[in-house]
Parts: sequence; C-alpha cells; structure tokens
Amino acid sequence: MTALAVFALGTSVLSSLFGQLRWLRVAQREHYMAGSVMRFAWRWWAGTPLNAALVGLALAGAACATVLPGAAIATAVVVTIGPVGLGLRGRTSRLAWTRRLRFLGVLAALFEALFVGLGALFGALSGAVTTAAFVAVAVPLLVDMALAVQAPFEDFLAQRYVRRASGLLGAVQPLVVGITGSYGKTTTKNYIAYLLGGEHTVVASPRSFNNRAGLTRTVIEHLAPGTDVLVAEMGAYGPGEIAALCGWLHPEVAVITSIGPAHLERFGSLERTLEAKAEITKNARVVVLNVDDPRLHALAGDLEKDHKVVRASGADEASDVAVLAESEGLELYVAGKPAGFAKLLADSLPPIRTNAACAAAVALELGMSPGAVASRLGSLPAVPNRLQPYRAAGGYLVLDDTFNANPAGARHALDVLASAAPAGRRVLVTPGMVELGSSQRTENAALGEAAAGIVTDLVVVGRTNRAALVEGCRRLATSPSLRLVGRRESAVSWAQKELGPGDAVLFENDLPDHFL
Amino acid sequence: MSNSAKRRLSERGSLGTAQPEGPREGGLPARVAVIYGGPSPEHDVSILTGLQAVHALARTPGVGSVRSLYWSKSGDWYEVHNATEAAGFLEGVPSSAVRLRLISGPGGGFVRPGSGLRARESRLEIDAVLNCCHGGPGEDGSLQGALDLTGVCYTGPTATGAALGMDKLAFGALMVYAGLPALARVPLSEHSEKPAFAPPYILKPRFGGSSIGIEVVADFETARARLKANSHLRCGAILEPYHEEMFDLQLAVRSWPELQLSAIERPLRTREGGEILGYQDKYVGSEGMTSAPRELPANIEAALAERIRKLAAEVASLVSLRGVARLDFLSDGEDIYINEVNTIPGSLAHYLWIDPRLPLTTLLLDLLKEATARPAAVFSAAGSDGSVLRVAGSIASKLG
Repeated sequence: MTALAVFALGTSVLSSLFGQLRWLRVAQREHYMAGSVMRFAWRWWAGTPLNAALVGLALAGAACATVLPGAAIATAVVVTIGPVGLGLRGRTSRLAWTRRLRFLGVLAALFEALFVGLGALFGALSGAVTTAAFVAVAVPLLVDMALAVQAPFEDFLAQRYVRRASGLLGAVQPLVVGITGSYGKTTTKNYIAYLLGGEHTVVASPRSFNNRAGLTRTVIEHLAPGTDVLVAEMGAYGPGEIAALCGWLHPEVAVITSIGPAHLERFGSLERTLEAKAEITKNARVVVLNVDDPRLHALAGDLEKDHKVVRASGADEASDVAVLAESEGLELYVAGKPAGFAKLLADSLPPIRTNAACAAAVALELGMSPGAVASRLGSLPAVPNRLQPYRAAGGYLVLDDTFNANPAGARHALDVLASAAPAGRRVLVTPGMVELGSSQRTENAALGEAAAGIVTDLVVVGRTNRAALVEGCRRLATSPSLRLVGRRESAVSWAQKELGPGDAVLFENDLPDHFL
Repeated sequence: MSNSAKRRLSERGSLGTAQPEGPREGGLPARVAVIYGGPSPEHDVSILTGLQAVHALARTPGVGSVRSLYWSKSGDWYEVHNATEAAGFLEGVPSSAVRLRLISGPGGGFVRPGSGLRARESRLEIDAVLNCCHGGPGEDGSLQGALDLTGVCYTGPTATGAALGMDKLAFGALMVYAGLPALARVPLSEHSEKPAFAPPYILKPRFGGSSIGIEVVADFETARARLKANSHLRCGAILEPYHEEMFDLQLAVRSWPELQLSAIERPLRTREGGEILGYQDKYVGSEGMTSAPRELPANIEAALAERIRKLAAEVASLVSLRGVARLDFLSDGEDIYINEVNTIPGSLAHYLWIDPRLPLTTLLLDLLKEATARPAAVFSAAGSDGSVLRVAGSIASKLG
C-alpha cells in the first residue's frame, strides 16, 4: 500500500512538471499575462468532448486518491497526455527557454512543491498523494499565480533597460514618431520609414517590436548615433501601456491608424480601446489620424483644441492629406488639391491607401516636399507576411497575409486576391480571426460571406472559427468549393497539387498552435 | 629589450618610407577575434563578411581560438557565439551575446564584465583582430584609432590610411598631385560655384564607402537642391562629371606577404540607362538582387589591363596600403581613370583572387600575420624630455 502511494506521489509530481511545459508555452505566447493560462486551459479542456471527459477523469482520480492512491496515477497519465491537441513544445511557436521563462518555471514548481508539502504536513502520505494529484490538474492555475508573483520583479528589471534606452535617446536626440492603432501599425511604420528614408536617417522598430521590451531593445541595439528620426510602433493590451511608453519615448509626432476589435477580450470595449490608443497624443506636437475610421474622425475634432491635427485618408480627397487610387498609380492630395502623382511599378500590388496616407502626412510634416513624397509613394515596399506576394514553384501567386488578423485588412486582401487572378482559381486559406471578443463569430461569418463572393475555393484551417466561416460562406448562393483542414501545412500541400499558373492563393492570418 | 621593441628596431633599419615591405616570416597569431557590424549603413553587409570569416577561421588548423565580436548599430560591443548565423541578427543583438567594453590605455582591450557576487572584469586575450567593418567608423579611421589606443593589433588600413580612403576628395586630390589619371572632382556646398566641367553630374557623399547616397543629377541647381534633401550628403558632398559611356573596372590589392594584384573584374549593370526595375523583378522571387552579374576576369585589351596593374601598384604605395583593398577604375575602353579605393571591401574581395586561386583562409591568415608583424601605429614621446616644461615654469615665476 505504501509503495503504491509513494509511486502515485512520484508520478503525480513528475506529471505536474511535465505538463507544466505546455502551460509555460501558453504563458510565453500570451505575453506573460497573469490569467491567460487559466483562460486557455478552460478553452482546451472544455473544447472537445474527449478533453472534457479526460479532465473529468483526472479530477475524479484526484478526489479518490485519499482512499485509492492508485487513482492518482490515472490523473497523472491524463495531465501528461492532455489536453489532446495542445503540444508540449509547439509547432508554430517553439518554447524558448529565456531567462524569464526559466524563472517562471522555477516559481511554478515551487508553488507545486509548497502545496504538496502542506498536504504532507497535514495529511501525511495520503494527504501528499491527494494534493499532488490536484496540483497536477491545477498546474495552469499555479502558472498563473507564478506569473502574478513574477510581474513586479520583471517590471523592476525592465526599468533598468528603460533607463539605458532613455540615456541613449537623450544622447542621440532623434525626432520620435509614435504609431499606434488596432491594425496597420507595422505597415504604416514601414511606409513611414521608407518615405522618410529618402531624406533622413531613420531607425524603425524591427518586425512588430511594439512593447516595452521591444522598444527598449530597438533603442539600445539599433539607434545609431546621428539618427534623425526614430519610428516607434506602440502596441497595447490595456489602458496605461501606451502612456507608459510615451513616458520615456516622448513621441513628437503621434499616428493612430485604426480602432478595431483587436484584443477586444483584453480591452473590454471599443471605447476603452480608443481611450488607450489616444494616450499617444497627450504630449505630441502633431497628431496624424486616419479619418476613414469613424472613431478617429470624431477624435480629430476633440484633439484640435490642444494639438495640430492632420487628417489622413485613403478615400476622401478633401482631407488634409489623402492618397487616392488613379489608373496605374496613386494621387497624393494635400489640403484638397492634387500635389503629386505616383506611378506604381509594373504589375505591382497597390499599397494600403489609408496607411500610405498616414505615412505621407508624417513625411510632409517632417518637411519633405509633396513632390518628393509622391515620387516614393509609387514604390512602397511590401511588408513581410502582410500581403506579401511571391511566386510559388508551381507558377501560382502566393499572397502571404499570415500576420494580418483584422476584418478591414482581410477585406482589402480579398480585393487584392480578386484582381491578382481574375481568370484563374482564387483560393482563400484561413483559420479566421481571433481576439475579437463577442463579435468574433459575426466578424468571421462576415469574412466567410465576403470570401464567398470572390474566391473559387475556401480552405478553412482548424476548428476555432470553422462554424462561423462555413456559415457565412453558405449565405451566398454561389458558394465556393469548401475544404476543411486541420493545419495550414495540409492546405499548402493541397495548393501545391491543385494550383498552377494564373491561379492565386491568399493565406489570411495564421493562428499559433495554442489555438484549437 | 622586449620583442616588440626589437621588431620595431629591425623594421626601422629596413625602410624609411611607409611602402609595403618585401616577404617576411610572420608568425600566426594564435588568439584571433573577428569584429564586424558597427554604426554604419553597411552594418548588415559587414555581418555577412564577419560571419564568413569566423566560420572559415574556426575550421582552420593552427588558429588557437576565434572570437566573434559584434559591434552594434548603437555602438555597443558584444561577444557572440561562433555558430551564430546571419538570421540571428535579424532583430538586433543575437540572444547568445555578452556585452563587452573597449578600454583604452596600457592593459586595455576588450573586457568582459564580471558576474556573480564577486564580480571581476576579465580581459579577452586577443593577439590580433580581423576588422570586417564596412563603411562608417569601422572603415574611416575611428575604430583604427580606438584600437591603437588599446594596444590591440588589427588587420586592414591604419587610422590615417582608412581616413584617406574614406575621403573621396582627399584621395582624388592625392592622385592628381601624384600625376595619376583621375576624373575631375570638386567639393559641393551651398556656396560652391558651378564646376568647370559640363553636366550631367554624379553627386556623391564625400565620405562613405558604398553606393549609398549617390545620385546622377541633370544640372547644377538640382545638385544644390539635393544637398539639403539627401541626408547622406550632410557631412560633405562632391561633384564629378557623369560619363554614360564609361564602365567600372575593379581589382583587389593586398600587401602581405608581398604586394599582390588580383584579377580584374568588370561589374555589369543589369539594364542600360538606369531603367527602373519592374515590381516582379524587385520583390517576387528571392535571388534577383544578390547575385550581381559580373565579368571576371574582365574582357579587356591586354595593354589596358597592364596599365591598370601598374596604376594599382602606384596607388598602393601612395596610400601605404595595409591589408586587402579594392581599387575602382573607370574606363571608356581606351583611357583609364582611378576612381576610388575601398580599404575594407565586402567579403574582403576574396572572390577576385581567381588566378591563382587564393583560398579565403589563406587570405585571412595572411591578413592576421601582417596585423602583428606590421604594427599599425607606433607612438613616441621622444623629445619630450621636460626641457619645455622647465622653460614654462620660469615664465610663470616671472609673471607671478
């Protein structure tokens, strides 16, 4: 009996440590936000009947462990293999053993040891076995607890980097352009860097670096002495985060690209999203707003009292700065008047006009002439993984929009797909969009419906938004042929077999594999 | 007498000029560091050159240890794991990097900060540094000066040689002064007069090692207007006549174990007349821009090639060449003009050494031998024996 209990205790403890790996990966993917691990644990365990049955079995095993120590072994087995589908090391996003993650792992293990120790103290061996079994199931909760305990320490460490970055900013003294918004930040940032690059030395935060860690790193590692302009993309998951970034970056020019339901689960409402994004304007001399967005159009009026506001638009030529489509190119409008024509390079994809208009507004504000801005507008570079075109070996065109995750961007991408293969097959491969809060279902259904009018084939990846996409797609009488696949890789090999010259495939969004 | 002092004495006996010396036995430095990156527009290219050298040296027998030292865009020094690939630098400093400091003065050099409770700094033991920095302070004499002050031996140009190579105006003026053929070249500022030669012009940054910031302008007014708009021209600009019909010819020159010239290369323009590349050429497909077309060896008259070689040897001597440099010429097929010298060329120009073929490791090892055998700087305080100070002291007492 004792030997069995000791064995059960051992397997429970080992399974906790083993299962911890997958929850550490979720914590890392979810930006170390306390609470996120429990949310995903719930989503996964309750997500499929199999997993729900398994977690029921695990809890039952833990409950019976006091009288039947062997039952704890069942619990240990379940938490080692489950939830089924959530990998230990990850396919899209590998577990990276950073200092922060190692520390988190040690903290979580300490919590586990603490509870098992308490169980042993009050219930001797059988108490230890029972708590160990419950701990094995509750690992996501313990990782969340560890995240909460770790946060202040990480803040303290990050402040050291902020101080170093502040010192460098003070020495180099670049003009800082801050960009925020729900969507289009990275694209607008790259456009600004490209337009300004003709006349200034510019440093832009690389890739999608947009939080405190990424921006301190940008300054410390990329800000060369003699830099004129620093273009900083600022992201936020909640109120106060942009204000904190502005506290040491001090953007003189602030750009807001859009307000939408990105990360809505974390913000709560679009009004709170707008408030959080508008923090960027507080001490800015100039504010550039995309007034094609109704909320930003309204914000422009509010801000005019204290700021110079530049209204940028990709649709309304009467705005302060507008970029409109013309045949074979783009027309730049300044103060309602045509100010320069940009011919697009042969068979290129058009840039996203609202983002281009915001970028043009910043360039004009920094003293570039309208002619100089227009001459560079025609050759704006494609941004990696954001509607980036390339030719596959089979001769068909691939539009890689895997980093996009917003409704407006997805519609734009569909329009581009429509023009890219007018006569051939037009394929949309997508797992749908996430983090849209209560509107996630309707937005994905709307995407399915919009796609049905344009594509010849719709390939739905994964289960997260499958029902909504399929439902939207079937609303139209002319619904395209539909395929359901588990992973993007299957869609890729399907495209390689099926498509040829004249066809085009759009990969829209790519969920990391901790999503179902 | 110390070995280095002996070496310096023997050197003084053999020359009196700064000309490259004849063959000599140079010992291979056992502990080597490769430095690359730097706050320069050519930071990324430099990483490629540097990593190529690290990987080649790490496989070379006889080299005791190789360190990979990265100079960040913001000017910090880091030691990076030798196996790091270019992709490791995509976001900035690679994750394996340890920050270093560069300390001047006796006993100086690259220093690794201590860690743990009883933190003690430790100096990296380095016999010679392979400088793979292109453009900016790594190639203009700044880094060379800094390394001179730390006492670390390094490859490539000396501080003065690098500064001369980076200054297109001074270099061109030296060529003209020495009676060598060079095209007209005038400084351009807001107050400049119109040059004597006719437009169109090539407008170039006065300092800078690459094609970055170079423009062809139709007239003098445009050139002046571009002065303000082009940030690369801020530290100085030069104007040259633009000759559409001329083409580039390049060759590499190295100074160790003896003066040697590589084959002559003719880089080819992809399309005549600077026609803008189509979008598909530029973005669709992956290799378009990297494999630049070239003619190697250049298909030119033997007499022209011979004149280029003769000129190259003269230039090498005029600029006190150290290490491996690339010389750029312009020609219309008959006449030849010296254009520029690139004192730390991309990939250290090793691809030009095809006849006879010179393996990259041999080139690197020779550079390193030269680094220790031919010191880049020798400081002297001879003559400062206090006599001036004694006189100054008496002046002060008189004034008092």
